Amino acid sequence: MQAPRHEPSAQPANRQDLVHLAEAIHHAAHLLPAQGPIGVFIHHNTLHAFEHQTFDEAVRHGSMVFGSEPYLSEDQYREELSRGRILFSELRAVLERDLGTRGSEKIAGLSHRLDLRLAMLQYPLHDGQGPELDWVMAETGALRTLRNDVSLVQRRRLVTEARHWALRRLRGSLPGVDRPSWIEGLFGRFQDERVEDWSDERWEAFTVGALWESCCDGVRMTGQPPSTAPLRLRARDWLDAGGAMDPDLLVHDVLIRFCAAFLDQGIAHWAMPERDRGFYHAFCELHRRGGAATAWWLTDLPDHTARLQDGQVSALACIQESLTDLGVAPAQIPDYLAATLLALRGWAGMMWHVEQRADRVHHAVPSGSLIDFLAVRLLLERLALKAVARESFGYDGPLAGLPGFLATRSTDVTLESWKPRAHVVFQLAQLLGWPPEQLAQLNAAQWRILFHEVESFGALNRRRLFHLAYEHRFRVRTLEALAARAGKSSKPTGRPSFQAVFCIDEREESIRRHVEETAPTSETFGAAGFFGVVMYYRGAAAADFVPLCPVVVRPKHWVSETVDRRLQDEDQRRRRTRRSLGMALQGFHGGSRRIVSGAFLSAAVGLLATVPLVARVVFPRLTARFRGYFGNFIAPPPVTRLNLERKTPESSPQEGAHGFLPTEMVDIGERLLRDIGMTHTFARVVLVFGHGSTSMNNPHESAHDCGACGGGVGGPNARAIAEILNDPRVRNALAERDIDIPTDTVFVGGLHNTANDDLTFFDIDRVPGSHQFEFEVAQKSVQEAAIRNAHERARRFGSAPLGLSPIAAKRHMEGRSEDLSQVRPEWGHATNAICIVGRRERTRGLFLDRRAFLVSYDPMQDDASNVVLARILGAVIPVCSGINLEYYFSRVDSPGWGSGSKLPHNVTGLLGVMDGAMSDLRTGLPWQMVEIHEPVRLLFVIETTRAAFTAIMEKNPAIKTMVTHGWVQVAVMDPKTQALRVYQEGVWEPFLTTAGPLPVAASSREWYAGWRDHLEFAEILAATPQNA
Amino acid sequence: MTANPRLLDALGLAIVAAPLFLLGSFFAAFLVNRRLSEPATGRLVQASVVTALLAALAAAVVMFRAGIAQHAIVLGDWIITPSYHLKLAFVLDLLSLAYVILALLLCGIIGAFSTRYLHREPGYSRFFVLFAVFLVGMVTASLSDTVETLFAGWEMVGLSSVLLIAFFQERPSPPRNGLRVWIVYRLCDVSLLLAAILMHEVNGGGDFDHLVGQSAWPAHDPLPVSPHFTLLGVLFVIAAAGKSALVPFSGWLPRAMEGPTPSSAVFYGALSVHLGAFLLLRISPVLDSSVWLSAFVVVIGLTTSAFAYVVGRVQTDIKSALAFASLTQVGLIIAEIGLGFRYLALLHLLGHACLRTLQFLRAPSLLHDHHQLENAIGSRPRDEAVHWEQRLPLPIQRALYRLALERGYLDSLMERYFARPFVAFFRALDRHEERLADTIDGAGSKPAPARSAPPAPL
Repeated sequence: MQAPRHEPSAQPANRQDLVHLAEAIHHAAHLLPAQGPIGVFIHHNTLHAFEHQTFDEAVRHGSMVFGSEPYLSEDQYREELSRGRILFSELRAVLERDLGTRGSEKIAGLSHRLDLRLAMLQYPLHDGQGPELDWVMAETGALRTLRNDVSLVQRRRLVTEARHWALRRLRGSLPGVDRPSWIEGLFGRFQDERVEDWSDERWEAFTVGALWESCCDGVRMTGQPPSTAPLRLRARDWLDAGGAMDPDLLVHDVLIRFCAAFLDQGIAHWAMPERDRGFYHAFCELHRRGGAATAWWLTDLPDHTARLQDGQVSALACIQESLTDLGVAPAQIPDYLAATLLALRGWAGMMWHVEQRADRVHHAVPSGSLIDFLAVRLLLERLALKAVARESFGYDGPLAGLPGFLATRSTDVTLESWKPRAHVVFQLAQLLGWPPEQLAQLNAAQWRILFHEVESFGALNRRRLFHLAYEHRFRVRTLEALAARAGKSSKPTGRPSFQAVFCIDEREESIRRHVEETAPTSETFGAAGFFGVVMYYRGAAAADFVPLCPVVVRPKHWVSETVDRRLQDEDQRRRRTRRSLGMALQGFHGGSRRIVSGAFLSAAVGLLATVPLVARVVFPRLTARFRGYFGNFIAPPPVTRLNLERKTPESSPQEGAHGFLPTEMVDIGERLLRDIGMTHTFARVVLVFGHGSTSMNNPHESAHDCGACGGGVGGPNARAIAEILNDPRVRNALAERDIDIPTDTVFVGGLHNTANDDLTFFDIDRVPGSHQFEFEVAQKSVQEAAIRNAHERARRFGSAPLGLSPIAAKRHMEGRSEDLSQVRPEWGHATNAICIVGRRERTRGLFLDRRAFLVSYDPMQDDASNVVLARILGAVIPVCSGINLEYYFSRVDSPGWGSGSKLPHNVTGLLGVMDGAMSDLRTGLPWQMVEIHEPVRLLFVIETTRAAFTAIMEKNPAIKTMVTHGWVQVAVMDPKTQALRVYQEGVWEPFLTTAGPLPVAASSREWYAGWRDHLEFAEILAATPQNA
Repeated sequence: MTANPRLLDALGLAIVAAPLFLLGSFFAAFLVNRRLSEPATGRLVQASVVTALLAALAAAVVMFRAGIAQHAIVLGDWIITPSYHLKLAFVLDLLSLAYVILALLLCGIIGAFSTRYLHREPGYSRFFVLFAVFLVGMVTASLSDTVETLFAGWEMVGLSSVLLIAFFQERPSPPRNGLRVWIVYRLCDVSLLLAAILMHEVNGGGDFDHLVGQSAWPAHDPLPVSPHFTLLGVLFVIAAAGKSALVPFSGWLPRAMEGPTPSSAVFYGALSVHLGAFLLLRISPVLDSSVWLSAFVVVIGLTTSAFAYVVGRVQTDIKSALAFASLTQVGLIIAEIGLGFRYLALLHLLGHACLRTLQFLRAPSLLHDHHQLENAIGSRPRDEAVHWEQRLPLPIQRALYRLALERGYLDSLMERYFARPFVAFFRALDRHEERLADTIDGAGSKPAPARSAPPAPL
């Protein structure tokens, strides 16, 4: 319906231009945040739009476009350097590698480039400007003493050399010595005493003074550095620089309110009239009148909207008109459009997303909404600019002339640029011990080289290197841990007591370890948490189907849960009760917002609200149990079945067409078992756990759910795969494909709640009597493991005392997830850093501190072309790196890339959150989720040969981009020799370990007890079967 | 049965002293340059609120059992002149105890909530200092027996509320919105100050019992019909209108949603926004003295209620929706006061405050709740039923919707016809002064000082 709306009826001649314009807008839209409605939170690389560049280029480019930080700050890295998280030797190695042979070049005969840069990394150089620098020079000891961090030896040497120079060469009468012009002045400062009587302090002051004067001389010799004018693309930037009020404030006040009303998915009781006719149209229609009551700067708006509507000017034509009016040169248009869209990126991004993915929302918007949005935005911007320019500068001319006008009366303070320049070299001279004599003898060309050298190693460059060293330390530690275990096998011999399959999620690393500790004869596996079952799922108590599979896949099957036939009547009754309760609750909440019913409710039952209020805030866990107890009476009866098998050839959401055909089930089952290498030695009981998370008062709740299930809860997938693998027909078919599941093996599906560490099992009634005992033993082990898991997690929460017992820790976790006032129900994926793809025996018994995604894969069972590995990596690399990079960016700059603190978040339109009363829609992760995260790129360690990995990479362009552009780190572990190789800029470098054996602890608890921060890797004896 | 008046004095003082002790402890910690740890702060807050709450409940029980309807606690005069005095005095009666119990209960809940909610927040101590100021102000205002005592509490409530709105000071918009609220508060506080002065002029003191006689609230001796009292009433109504965000001052209410969730819950959902209604209840004898005044109050109340209802229907974020839902009821409570239903108004106020606090505290669960409702009902909650608005003719629908979206144009009207002319006027005066100074200085002898760009208007 949209195409005709944008047909430019007034100026058909421009048609081609408008097509180009639309293309430019769509191109710019790629920069917008890709986050969809927050109810289903999907992690993805924040800089997805820049993946065609290398990581370093992309973060720099991205930080320029978005105005956010690319890396942690230098101070933070130096802090890590001081506490040993970054090693100086490694920083040096990273720098050496970065410089190559250029590192040994001598700069102006003073120092090697390597040393110069290392000093710049190691020591914080004061980079003040203007009055700040003047103050430092005048009021601190900067011109009296050397920097505090200059070592004593260096200090002595510098002073001695300066003294030597002054006494023998400058004051003496050696012929042919050039006396610097400033030397008399310097001597003059100290002339109250004879030179021979000068104290050490005085000599130090003289040295410092001489260094400073030499550096100033150097700057004078080289002339001014090229000044960089700040980039001012939008007219608004010019006004802002001129000290006027920000016109964006005015625009956003109107635009945010309108966007929210337009996109609202059901918070407002009264939806915007005529919103289906599009953003632009609805805006013009609503703003045709207003007269005396509109805001002061909008007095001309009714004229404009009337003109646009009556003249049938399309949104695109309106944008064209605005661009012309603003005097944007054609070449600048793409950048201008991007900058304009990014000024309110959250809302613009949501507009674009909702326009693109109508299937994800209840109220779709017409296509072309982003263009509409831009048209309205530019129209408002013109009015705001005019009003502000008139108000602040009395400027009444055309907007196109505004930047020129402001440039002429620019109030930019031009700071003296020579002083900071000299100051940096002055500090380096002290740190590197360049004697004043040597500096005084440099010629202009040498000074130019020196300044260029120092200035080309700017803060961004330093942070990049710091970051490399920061990652390097972690990579080395991880690989050392893996190398230290080479040659050991920690696989239980014989038939395991039971097997448990968990999601690859790094939060499941700890529970797997605890399962192996409580039951050393058991085995665990890691598979992507949808377990190959790609479906739309509808629970017995749910209204709609939800997709449970990775986002990139669109399911073709529908599976529903129904209550057992015998309990149908009961189910109907409970369903009706739920419905009436739901209606009553809805009536209550809606009614409390109306006049009369609100008055009645608050006067009559308002005081009763104190009961839940006190109960929920003071006793969150008890209240939850109480509610759970009564909730059981209205929940669907506990005996339910999945409609997993389909009789009709076609699958559809209609009743009777749910489920999979038996042949499809065989494929699903085979794929999972082959992926994780579970093709022989089946235990009598195999547990499969999906995972999800529940928390209160948390708009980002879905971000804690299973990423492999597209931000859903993976329980049904586990249940489905268990049922599939229990099916005798499937087993027969699998036997034909060489996977022989013994008849006495029983699969049971379950769900792990990662917030409160509850474990739920499905279809227990179907476990045969012969397996009751084994099942109960296995159940006990995993329940115990879940309690220990809660205990291990509790060490990370400041509000959980370190001395808690495991049971108390479990209760603490249960309380947390039900607590209205808890902003950190769990840490989610925070601290994720590694992804290990390989056999569990390589990592079993290794304490990985909940930092590693563990993907089970057996290279010995893969075929020559590594089909299995290729399909595993095809899913795992994008998903895990998406999670990792989202955490990286949200941690590195929380208000910039992330959504800042959670405390002022305000749910808007059921789409996302704003800060406080009104702000841009905040995308990314809130600070409370990423606080403890170490921003490092995910390190993949894959048990395969480098040739195999290279072959896979060549075939899969997505993997190739991620790896070659450095968005992830990759190492391979040879399946036979277990030798490690690291991928570094196209080369597989062997990893040589110098570290000894790993520290050993009897149990995980012994290792983590008493410590809240990240932990070193260790060998846990309890989890290795030999020690059972 | 009679109760020892000393006991009541002690209980009454405990109610006020406990919050003061809390504030004092924060101040003392600051003086000796010690930073209280999070748990210590939490325990202090809990201890003082619980003490005050128990004292208030005990006082209520004692008074009920002894059949005492009113008990005054006079702490003494600050200033006495032959014609007037300033007195620090508190009163325990149904109204003051009900309100103070509500305030302590909600503050206790919010205190417990916030100790966890603000864990590891850099402004943790700042939040609780402001919380303590708010608590002291609230207790003082609700127990006050003289207008000057009330004013002191009133100001503390205002100041702490504004600073809490501006809590997230690293972003530009909270301080900006805090400033707006501050300006509205100041304007309306002027009215309260004038009312206090007028009360002293008329009565020689700010004691409320000069208005009500010796009877306990809400009964009172009839006041003579006098223009003084009507004027006094109008001033009080303006003061109440500012605090309770009644029309035409409603513009600040949604802007106050900048602070952390618990502070918006307690301040704008529950206590602060009802303080205006409390004031009107306290001075209800004045309202009774004039039919016109009562009618004025009713009109303001109903207008606010209708306005907030319509505006609330189009709000798309949960905090604003709840804020306007609050205002709808506050308007109605004000109207009830105007109509003379004092007990009903009090009950309505108490119930509403509790209900709304619960809703505010649960606000971030909106998505979760929405999803659950959807599942329970089996379809989308509030599916496109045709509401009354959609039956209106389209042009009226558009106009009404726009009115609601622009929040009744209250902000833009205020800015366009009040704030900007005000600023322009003083800028003009400034220019004249400068010109005058130049003339006196010997015009043209030196270059005019470079004038920086004028600061941004509100």
